[in-house]
Amino acid sequence: MRKVVGSVTVEEKNEIQALFERRNGLNELAKILTVENTELYEKLVKDMGETGTKFQNWWNRMSSKYQWESIEGGNWEIDFETCEIYLIKP
Amino acid sequence: MNKIKEQSLSWQSGMAKNITFIVTKDCQLACKYCYLVGKNEKERMSWEVAKQAVDYILDNEYDENFNYESVVWDFIGGEPFLEIELIDKICDYIKTEMFHRNHHWFDSYRFSFSTNGINYDSEKVQNFIKKNHSHLSIGITIDGTQKKHDMNRIWKSEGSEEKGSYVDVVRNIPLWLEQFPNAGTKVTISSADIPYIKESVLHLYSLGIHEVNINVVFEDVWNEGDDVLFENQLIQLADSIIENEYYKDFACSFFTENMGKPMDCVLENQNWCGAGKMLSIDAAGNFYPCTRFAQYSLRDKKAWIIGNVRYGIDKNKLRPFLTLDRCTQSTQECIDCEVAGGCAWCQGENYDVADTPTIYQRSTAICKMHKARVRANNYYWNKLYRKLELESHD
Amino acid sequence: MIKYLVILLDDTSVSYCHYENNKAERKLISLEDLNEGIFYAMKENLSIQFVYPDYELPAEYKDAINTVDHSCVKPYAKGVKADVLVINDIDKLGNVDWQQDTAYVLRVDKSKLFAFYQNIISVLPKVMRLNVVLTDVETFTECDFDAYRKLLTELADVVKTEYVRGRIVQFNLLSDRIMLDAMNNCNAGVENITLATDGRFYICPGFYFAEDDADFGLGKAKFSVGDLKNGLDIKNSQLYRMTHAPICRKCDAYQCKRCVWLNRKTTYEVNTPSHEQCVVAHLERNVSRELLKGIREYGEFMPEKEIKEIDYIDPFNIVKD
Repeated sequence: MRKVVGSVTVEEKNEIQALFERRNGLNELAKILTVENTELYEKLVKDMGETGTKFQNWWNRMSSKYQWESIEGGNWEIDFETCEIYLIKP
Repeated sequence: MNKIKEQSLSWQSGMAKNITFIVTKDCQLACKYCYLVGKNEKERMSWEVAKQAVDYILDNEYDENFNYESVVWDFIGGEPFLEIELIDKICDYIKTEMFHRNHHWFDSYRFSFSTNGINYDSEKVQNFIKKNHSHLSIGITIDGTQKKHDMNRIWKSEGSEEKGSYVDVVRNIPLWLEQFPNAGTKVTISSADIPYIKESVLHLYSLGIHEVNINVVFEDVWNEGDDVLFENQLIQLADSIIENEYYKDFACSFFTENMGKPMDCVLENQNWCGAGKMLSIDAAGNFYPCTRFAQYSLRDKKAWIIGNVRYGIDKNKLRPFLTLDRCTQSTQECIDCEVAGGCAWCQGENYDVADTPTIYQRSTAICKMHKARVRANNYYWNKLYRKLELESHD
Repeated sequence: MIKYLVILLDDTSVSYCHYENNKAERKLISLEDLNEGIFYAMKENLSIQFVYPDYELPAEYKDAINTVDHSCVKPYAKGVKADVLVINDIDKLGNVDWQQDTAYVLRVDKSKLFAFYQNIISVLPKVMRLNVVLTDVETFTECDFDAYRKLLTELADVVKTEYVRGRIVQFNLLSDRIMLDAMNNCNAGVENITLATDGRFYICPGFYFAEDDADFGLGKAKFSVGDLKNGLDIKNSQLYRMTHAPICRKCDAYQCKRCVWLNRKTTYEVNTPSHEQCVVAHLERNVSRELLKGIREYGEFMPEKEIKEIDYIDPFNIVKD
């Protein structure tokens, strides 16, 4: 099940969208970088950690600010076109 | 609430730099309407040229030509997937270099492809898709019904017998839509295709393609009466879309709200296309303002080269493109036209047919076809809104 | 509307503008074409400007030329009289026998201009008009722009001194902009057209003197726009007009030559100037503005004229935005 439980501002949406794009980029880069490329590999691992943290912080910050409905085992998703937040129930 | 599916805007529309690699000028097909008059098997991009191009572009991150928020790395042919190994290598290099250089495009890029779909299911293409899925935009060109598709999109062959490519493409549509459910297809209409427009668009809907981007060719191929036939086809298509309520989930670019209005030379004076804001690179390492200015796209004019991977872009060669506006290139008839809105042009085609080597002479070959489209479009929206209005009272 | 007809009398006719004439072999226009050209100009009400080579013309040519009111452009040589005399040696200006009633064109490349510009200082008080034409404006770099601004500023001091003394100096790079209220460009293809020795019309001599196989990127550059038999046929003639020049129509460097030949060479489009042509014209414009201010410090001077302060040096930047 999928229902709208709130929305964020365009600026807030832009922030998470940029992090989403970066996370995707890092994940796909991880498929081709090998440990042998030490410098870049370490940079990637560090960046993945930092980006993941920023990503989670955004959700923590926004859910605290907007107090969206939640459910055990469920998760939120954002629609980048409308800035709406969906609650996804398994 | 009634809903009408809107056509999707291109990704990061207006904010993305479009960079096109012409990786090959070869194709398995020899489509009859193809504007690429100089296709050949010899001009394949080398890795060295591709790398030089990427390095030049990324080296100039803050140059006004590249200072865009996002980037679309576009791969074109011929058929680009004939060079999937090279493309894979280029994309890996781009990703790695953008990250390595902390280039701002690492946070906002796409790899884009326009393919005939024939080797879409090949292992190499599929591996590439899996590796880059979240950054891919892939369009497969299928022209409609088998009859319509096979009329134009035929296999390249030595003999005189024509062989259509429909069955070789349509088998890959389910896989494509599974991987890219929101993908759209491009349909091209030439004179002989007009009677098949309605059935073709509906056929594409039936295949599960929700966005059909369709346009008439810009070349002067139109015969007496084509506009009437075209209008009739579009009106029949409009009736069908409305009666079957396809408008809720499907879009066809022929029907665009707010087109066909007079236009103002001050407030609505922008050029139609992005030639000059885009950059194309061919196998020789030459830069073009758009692929349509490469020699293989031109029938009567010389290629419009704006630089190369070794010496970079000659910015003087871009000035005409970046200052080109609608009214300066238009005839007085076009400027005064009561239905000017939405009338498209291709800068490369304009250049190719101009009386002198200029991009400032707009071709009017599609004039009658545009006017026919406007009439059908008006009919579509009037009929659709009346239907929705009546339904809202129920 | 075409008002002037430039007639190149010979393939070695002197260049009086940005284009180069590399032809070394003498080839006179045929007497028949010369007479036809004169006849055409009379019928079309065009003023004729004859452009001469550096040798004496045959008597029958002189006779033909004298059948019509005209002006003439000739290469400078001692004792030669003309409406316009062309000089190519900035380093030998001291040897020139200046005539008060003659306009002079000094063609010079940037390196010689930067090295010898002070030679111009002594010339300005001696002539009715001096036009300096840069022969390699398309090669200017940022450093060259700086050097050009500095030399213009020095020359402006000389012009100012002359004005303060009450003497009107006509020096195209600095005084023209002060006098103008609207664009006053070369206008090739709009107000003037060229008849070459092959009996064909060209937009300007630059288009004729291009090498036979020169294409400057987009195909043959040497294309004619008609001939004496069939008349003028300028395709896309609107592109030579100000209305169809997106950069120039927004520009107020009114003294700029707006050379369509250079445009074609550098940007591929006759209606689009290069960055270099625009910046050079704006440096001249801006120093002219300072010159106007400087003259006014000594008293009222053309109070109706105003050159505004602007924040760009290439109008391309305001057009593309």
